[in-house]
This record gives sequence, structure tokens and C-alpha cells, in this order.
Amino acid sequence: MTGTVLYARSRALPQTVLALAATALLAVWAAHALDSYLDPERRVPVVALAPLLAAAAIGASLYSASDELDRTAVRPWWHRRLAHLLCLTALAAALLPLAVLSSAQTFGPPAMVRNVLGCTGLTAGAAVLLGARLSWLPVFCYVSAMYMGISGVRGTALPAWAWLLEPGTGSGAWATAVLLFALGGGAYMVKGARGTP
Amino acid sequence: MTTIQVAGLHVRHRKTVALDSLDVDFGRGVHGLLGPNGAGKTSLIRVLATVAAPTGGRVRMLGEDLADPRARTEVRRRLGYLPQEFGYYPGFTVREFVAYMAWLKEMPAAATPAAVERAVERVGLADRIDARIRTLSGGMVRRVGIAQAIVNDPAVLLLDEPTAGLDPEQRVEFRELLRELGAGATVLVSTHLVEDVAAACTEVTLIADGRLAYRGTPDALSALGAAADGVGDHPIERGYTAALRAHREVAVR
Repeated sequence: MTGTVLYARSRALPQTVLALAATALLAVWAAHALDSYLDPERRVPVVALAPLLAAAAIGASLYSASDELDRTAVRPWWHRRLAHLLCLTALAAALLPLAVLSSAQTFGPPAMVRNVLGCTGLTAGAAVLLGARLSWLPVFCYVSAMYMGISGVRGTALPAWAWLLEPGTGSGAWATAVLLFALGGGAYMVKGARGTP
Repeated sequence: MTTIQVAGLHVRHRKTVALDSLDVDFGRGVHGLLGPNGAGKTSLIRVLATVAAPTGGRVRMLGEDLADPRARTEVRRRLGYLPQEFGYYPGFTVREFVAYMAWLKEMPAAATPAAVERAVERVGLADRIDARIRTLSGGMVRRVGIAQAIVNDPAVLLLDEPTAGLDPEQRVEFRELLRELGAGATVLVSTHLVEDVAAACTEVTLIADGRLAYRGTPDALSALGAAADGVGDHPIERGYTAALRAHREVAVR
């Protein structure tokens, strides 16, 4: 068995791929159950919650049981971490938009891809600061706060920080999501997940 | 020949000083690292294992300065490390786990299977090599940890509490393995079990409050216990407590 396969098993990558596929199926089912083809606004829960679930699954895969021994590795970690994060993010970004294909303009595939990037970036950054096991927590708090409290909030900067619930393909929301992915992913690539007992 | 040179090593964990200007050298052989809880043994081992960075001082190992990232990488190829809690992947077999650690150390792929089998055999787990680690007893898991530490035939082997969880027979066998390893490598063993040190080590280093409290052979430490007012059932235990008290008295003055 090659080292790369052992690495994939050590990070539970097969289970993570299954979790992403299950999340995509759940999103397809939810979009259909909500009759989102009648009104794109009904897709909001799907476009907000499916990336959250996918990011949580990806965050869990960043955990290493042998963190102390990993640090004595001769192999450099940064490209393995980068490939790990990019492959799983690409898979989530390819699967989840299948649930919202019927409209590209309002809460369609672009919004889903943007949210996958933003949520995964937040999760990767949280893994560096809090450890992989708690990496889902900040993105969960953010999504919950946005989902429950956004209706009463107004302001010109809204698209930048409430990127998750922007309906269209506005550049402010995309810029924030891409920035989060770059910062969170970059921090994870350099530092790795914080060791936790 | 000196393989590890530690000069003015300072390690701080937030407000706590773990190592305070420690100067110590180690050459080939088995070195017992003794000291009370919180003395700084694990901090020293983690710095030597290149897992933690010191806040001050210098460490040279195998002729390389560990402050240099390239040199650190080269040293890691020739380093074996068993932490107090090493963590393992429950779904891995013993063979897979040791092979994974060999891969992380960039051992040649062609040599890895034989090296894995040899390391596992040396710790007495040859008959369980294809068992999942989660099915093993605590002592066996500890021996898996030792196997991964020796898979690359390290020139420097750092073992933090290696005998924790081993039964008396396993400890006796482990001491034999230590003596064998110490013939060709620098082996540093952090432990609370002074009888292991008496039986297997060529030299004893006692650390207390982040400083060097005593250095000598196990026989000299035992003799110190006979001469001074040490407490304990075994001569080396009496030597240990006598050396520790003498260090504390000097520190108070």
C-alpha cells in the first residue's frame, strides 16, 4: 500500500468523499421538496446549509490523530495539505450545484460555489486556530447568525459580510468568499490544523 | 563522540519556565533522563525531536544546527521519536502504521517493507503485525510506538516514558532492546522508573526545575544514595532522592 493511500486513510478521505456525496443528495432532495423551481427564493436554506455541511465534513478530515509524530516528518506538508483542501473543495463545488441547476441568476450554481468557497475557507482557518474537531463551529455560528438575523439588517457593506445570502453573482460577495478561502486555506497550508488531544 | 550538544537552552510555556539555560551533551549509548513531574524532561525531548522550538539557546545534533530548517529536515531522517502519547489511526494495522511513519520519513519505498517487519519483530509483535491497532492492549500499542520510532534505524532515538503500560516481562525485554540500540545510536529515555535506568542506561541525567541537577553513571548515582540521606527502597532510588535534595538545597541558597 502506498504512502499516499495511507495518508488518505489517515485523514478519513474515503468517508469524507461519501459525506460530500450524501450532502449533495440531501441538497437535491431538499431543493425538490421545497419546490424551489417555483420560486428561487425557496432555495435559500439549501444554498446556505449544504455548504455548511460540506465544510464541516472537510474540516473533520483535517484532523490528524498523530499530530506529534507528523511534526517530525521529513516530507514537507504544505503541498499535501493544499492538494487535500483543493480536491475536497473542488468535489463539493462540483456536486452541490447539482441541487440548484434550474436558475443561474438567483441562488443558482454560482451562489452555491461561492458559498462552498467561503464556508470551506472559514473552516480551514478555524482548524488552524481551534483544531480540526472544532473547525465547524465558527462557520456554524456565522451561517446561523446570517440565516436567522439577516432580514432586519441594511447597509451598503451588506453584500461583503452577508455574502452567504446574496442571491446573485455580485462581486462584493464573491470577493469576500474568495478572500476567506485564500486566507483560511493559506493558513492551513502553512500551519496545518492545531493539535488537539 | 558527542551527537547532541545543548547550550543555554531556554523553553518557556506562557509564564512557566520549562528549561532554564540548560547545557548538556549526549554521546552514543543509552541515557536515562530522570526528574520529577514538570522538571522539563518532556520539553527537552520535544525540542530535540524538532517538534517544539526553544525560546533561547542552541541545539546541535548529528553535526547540524537545529535552528536551520534544512538541517532540521536532514536530522529528522536519522531521528526516532516516541512521544508520551503518540496517537494512532485505529483502522490501521501495525504494519500500515509503521509503514506510514516510514513514508513520512521518506525512507526508500523498496526498503520499507523489510524495515517495517524488522522493527515490528524487534518489539516482539511479529505475530500481530497485521492486527488492527485498536484491537491491541495498551502495552502492545506502546510497543507499536517503539516500532515506528526505530523503523528508520535512527542515529538518535528519543523515548518519552517508553515503558508506561508494559508489564514486567515486557519491560525486561525492552531493556534488552535498549541496550542493543544503544550500541550503535544515542538513545535518550525519559522515565520515572529508576530501576529501568539502573538496568539499561550507561549514563543518568537528572533534571529539576528546568536545570541540570545531576549527571553520572547509574552506579555513581546508587553510590550517592548509600553515602547521603536518600529515601527509597532501591539504591538508585536513594541516589535519585539524594541528588534531588542536594540540587534543591543549592537552589535555595
